[in-house]
Amino acid sequence: MADKRKSMIKIKPKKFKVGDIVKVDFIVIHPMETGMKKDKKTGEYVPAHYIDSVTFSFDGKPFTTMKSWETISTNPYYSVNFKVPAKGEITVDYTDNSGEKNSKSKKVKPKG
Amino acid sequence: MKRRNFMQGLLLSSAVAITTSPTLLSAEEKPKKAGPNDMDYKTAEAAITGGKEIKESDTLKLTVPEIAENGAVVPVKVEVDHPMEENNFVKAIHVLNTKNGNARSADIMLTPLNGKGYFATRIKLGGTQDVVALVELSDGTFLKAAKSVKVTIGGCG
Repeated sequence: MADKRKSMIKIKPKKFKVGDIVKVDFIVIHPMETGMKKDKKTGEYVPAHYIDSVTFSFDGKPFTTMKSWETISTNPYYSVNFKVPAKGEITVDYTDNSGEKNSKSKKVKPKG
Repeated sequence: MKRRNFMQGLLLSSAVAITTSPTLLSAEEKPKKAGPNDMDYKTAEAAITGGKEIKESDTLKLTVPEIAENGAVVPVKVEVDHPMEENNFVKAIHVLNTKNGNARSADIMLTPLNGKGYFATRIKLGGTQDVVALVELSDGTFLKAAKSVKVTIGGCG
């Protein structure tokens, strides 16, 4: 059921200090089907399949929660800001409407 | 004589092709299927604000392309120039559209840990319409910014 989807967390800029505001980009490979598209071969509607919730957390403490709908583009991209408090780990958990749960983590290493 | 017959035949066949093609096209247009979470813009806005007053503000900046060549991928960026302190911060950013089947695109709940009211994503637009950013501040004030996006190829449905 829960196949591992390809996803990526990017922190911009690459070099930052404690207290700096960085951009956290999260990209995931997902079809984001609207349920309104027809399969050209069978003529049947493709069932809706989209990410409905995304949570960004730092060391287990959520700092941004998101609800998303099928109107977000295929292979969604979510970008938020984050003020780095210390060394730690950013984790993004996401769930889609079929109940599939996945997560991705990235270490935060501020310098100075 | 043979040549004349041939030319007449050509003309006739082309005329038939021209008259039939529009009828074929209109036959393909079927009523749109309803999506799983259809909600029009007014209902969505009322559900978010709960009937509260919405202010237009300069502190809220919405960045969208004026013309989107492909409606399936429209970059949206929302920036709020507001402090992110313990009791005074940007609570939520809602990205909405006015004409898709589902008017809601994303609801983002922020905390002071974010450091800045910022959100960027890519959304689908079914046609030329407005993209709306609704921002809720921690004191319950709602800010709104709307911008029209011209879509040349549809993305939804």
